[in-house]
Amino acid sequence: MKLELIGKPEGCKLLRMTIDIEPPPSPSSRIRSLSIRGDFFAVPEEAFDALERELVGIPLEALGKRFDELIWQKGLECAGITGTALDEIIQKELHNGI
Amino acid sequence: MAYEFRVLETGFHRAAFNMGLDEALLRSVAEGRSLPTLRFYGWAPPAVSIGYFQGLHEEVDTAACKAAGIDVVRRITGGGAVFHHHEVTYSIVLPLGHPLARANILDSYRLLLGGIIEGLAAMDIHAEFAPINDIVAGGKKISGNAQTRKLGCILQHGTVILDVDVDQMFTVLRVSQEKAKGRLIEDIKSRVTSVKQCLPQSAPMSFEILYATTIQSLREGFAKALHLVFVNSGPTESELQLAGQLGKEKFSSQTWLASR
Repeated sequence: MKLELIGKPEGCKLLRMTIDIEPPPSPSSRIRSLSIRGDFFAVPEEAFDALERELVGIPLEALGKRFDELIWQKGLECAGITGTALDEIIQKELHNGI
Repeated sequence: MAYEFRVLETGFHRAAFNMGLDEALLRSVAEGRSLPTLRFYGWAPPAVSIGYFQGLHEEVDTAACKAAGIDVVRRITGGGAVFHHHEVTYSIVLPLGHPLARANILDSYRLLLGGIIEGLAAMDIHAEFAPINDIVAGGKKISGNAQTRKLGCILQHGTVILDVDVDQMFTVLRVSQEKAKGRLIEDIKSRVTSVKQCLPQSAPMSFEILYATTIQSLREGFAKALHLVFVNSGPTESELQLAGQLGKEKFSSQTWLASR
């Protein structure tokens, strides 16, 4: 099941996500594929591409925390995007009923 | 302490070549074959550039661009979509070990954008840094900027808007529903300004004169803010050759352009 999410949490740039999750949709649904897009900055850019791949397989509810861990592990520097912001966008969607 | 920089004015080029030359300069400085470099340039035909992480078709109406003869290119830097028309574009490349290099993105913007702010001040335009990556004059955006770090160097490039036509801009840029909710096109008009709008009304200039005057002011601004001493130069033959190659093989390729 594919989710198309968009949001601009406080202090962040416009963030878009396409997330394919295992049905039925719930916070514990595992991520089958993921793309994060937007006008944010992440350096080095290629490490962000790798980070996206490593988010596959985790539950939706763990995405923000794991994102922040991977940012730190890979030595990425980001501006305009955080794991908390991604969680906020997902939670809004879950709250609205996927 | 003054820092020796090469300064280039490379004129107007197609989008793919422009992005190819910025990357070629990055590689050349990284390999120690060229001095840290400040470049000024324009776009012919007009172009849309999108950030490294943006989705092409979410940001750009590619059919409208094609119909209007507007180039579309993906940058190696993050940030947002930009319609490059009546503007001065600059790029600055310096090694991470250079005294002007800063460790984090925000500090780098704050320091390097001092050159733009001083340049605008030389034109009697009071402007200030608006984090993360903008410069505003009178509270309105007059410059957008993007930065990356590769091969041990910082590449920052950005625009100084000389004149703006928001209606034309949004014939080629898409507005997301999220942005459109609170920021309709009319609202965006009220948030963007230009050198032309900020100059005294008694000083009308042709685009050509405005372009040349702004570059001169920006040169002075960068020299003053960053304590630069310029070595006037053109790109080297190898940089031009690499720029052409990157323009053709990377920046013109659908694989790169539609990678997100």
